[in-house]
Amino acid sequence: MRFVLPKGRLFSNSLKTLEKAGIELKPPENRELIVKNGRYELLLARAFDVPVYVEHGVDVGMAGSDVVEERESDVLIPLELPFGKCRLSLAMPEENLVSVEEMEGFRIATKYTNLTRKFFERKNIEVEIIKLHGSIELAPKIGIADAIVDIVETGNTLRANGLVEVEKIMDVSALLLVNRISQKTRFEEINELVLRIKEAVKDGI
Amino acid sequence: MRKDLFSESERLAEITKYLRRTFELWGYREVFLPTVEEFRAQLRKGTKFAYNNEFYIIKPDLTSQILANLKEPRRLRLYYISEVLDGGVKGSWQAGVEFIGGENIKMQVEGLLTVITSLESMGIEEFYIDVGSLRVWENALRGMEEFREAVFKALTRRNFEIIERLPISEEKKEELWKLFNFRGRKCSYEKLTRIVEIVDDDRVFIDLGTIRPLPYYSDIIFEVYSPEIGKPLGGGGEYTFKETGAFGFAFDLKALAKLFDGTKLEKSRKKVSDYRLAKELVKLGIPVEVE
Repeated sequence: MRFVLPKGRLFSNSLKTLEKAGIELKPPENRELIVKNGRYELLLARAFDVPVYVEHGVDVGMAGSDVVEERESDVLIPLELPFGKCRLSLAMPEENLVSVEEMEGFRIATKYTNLTRKFFERKNIEVEIIKLHGSIELAPKIGIADAIVDIVETGNTLRANGLVEVEKIMDVSALLLVNRISQKTRFEEINELVLRIKEAVKDGI
Repeated sequence: MRKDLFSESERLAEITKYLRRTFELWGYREVFLPTVEEFRAQLRKGTKFAYNNEFYIIKPDLTSQILANLKEPRRLRLYYISEVLDGGVKGSWQAGVEFIGGENIKMQVEGLLTVITSLESMGIEEFYIDVGSLRVWENALRGMEEFREAVFKALTRRNFEIIERLPISEEKKEELWKLFNFRGRKCSYEKLTRIVEIVDDDRVFIDLGTIRPLPYYSDIIFEVYSPEIGKPLGGGGEYTFKETGAFGFAFDLKALAKLFDGTKLEKSRKKVSDYRLAKELVKLGIPVEVE
């Protein structure tokens, strides 16, 4: 069975969850991206790509609900996991604060172009979206965007950069992902795995 | 598709040759639909645009396009091979059939057999078909319709936690859990059991957890997949058009192209030793090799 886990913020808890469920996957040494461990294989991917790997054939993965929604991946999501809790929010510089309704024509910097577009479409507000791959908070500071859409955990990063949360777009949590075909071809094995993970995380991680 | 359009084209040409032949042998006629349609709410997918103050849609979902062009239901067997746009600039190639106005059970059986013989005609033998039923779920949810949406969300995500959180009795949850995980060849729903029985193929299963997230299906739905690739090869189901029953499915040509191996086909040709038999078989559409 092949697992794909996200590098970064969710990695250690993902690995820990699997370990608690009785699946020991060695974290990779050096800079390997694939680690074999008995009948398991562990792949490491960028968080944004995990749902894509699962959609295209990797059996099981863990990723945040933000990226699953953003990539609109056709995957099964049998469990919500008790970590990676945060929110996707719209934020802007404190000194130019306006309401969402007044953002017509604004430039929004984000990694989440799809979710951002949908959010503003629902509100019938036309904005220009600029895709960035990291350090989104920088964009309003140097004036290339009027607001940002990004993950907020504690709010410290926002505050440190003089930004204020205007509206929450969605709550985010880590999810267990299963490939649609693996669910069928490895029916028993996957069902058992899901139940074991469910049991393992029922009192948190 | 973009990587090497011409070699990919060659593969698609090969695959669609077998698909066309099989669809024709089952009595389906090819339908040629316009690339651009005036926008109507019933057209799904496709890419919308405005021209001269009118709204149009490019390459919508084929089933919806066929029905939008059909004024009144009549008995029709149609097939298509076409690209469908996803709302933006991305397209996927599909081959599918629609059987409108067929008899109950017979048309579902015929549809499934068309799927099986189409795949076999391309030399693809290792596949499975999971057949489910919306009616089974509608029946199970009778009297608790307010939770319908939540239960279907649970099914499409295969997330039973959503059902566990509903304020319904433990017995009901137990009943839904059993349906959720039901896989076999016989179930309490007579119609579904009959269909699978008549199709009579080891690769066809009843799987009540198989729910495709499309709004128009009315009862029987199915998904075709192969253990060799992680994406479905296609799927389809039963729907109603102006009170007339219909059954259709579509293959994802990109997925079939991945599985297609021309050399296997050579082996599947019927070996015969005399020309008279060869002639009869070819008439029936069966590929032969005279030794």
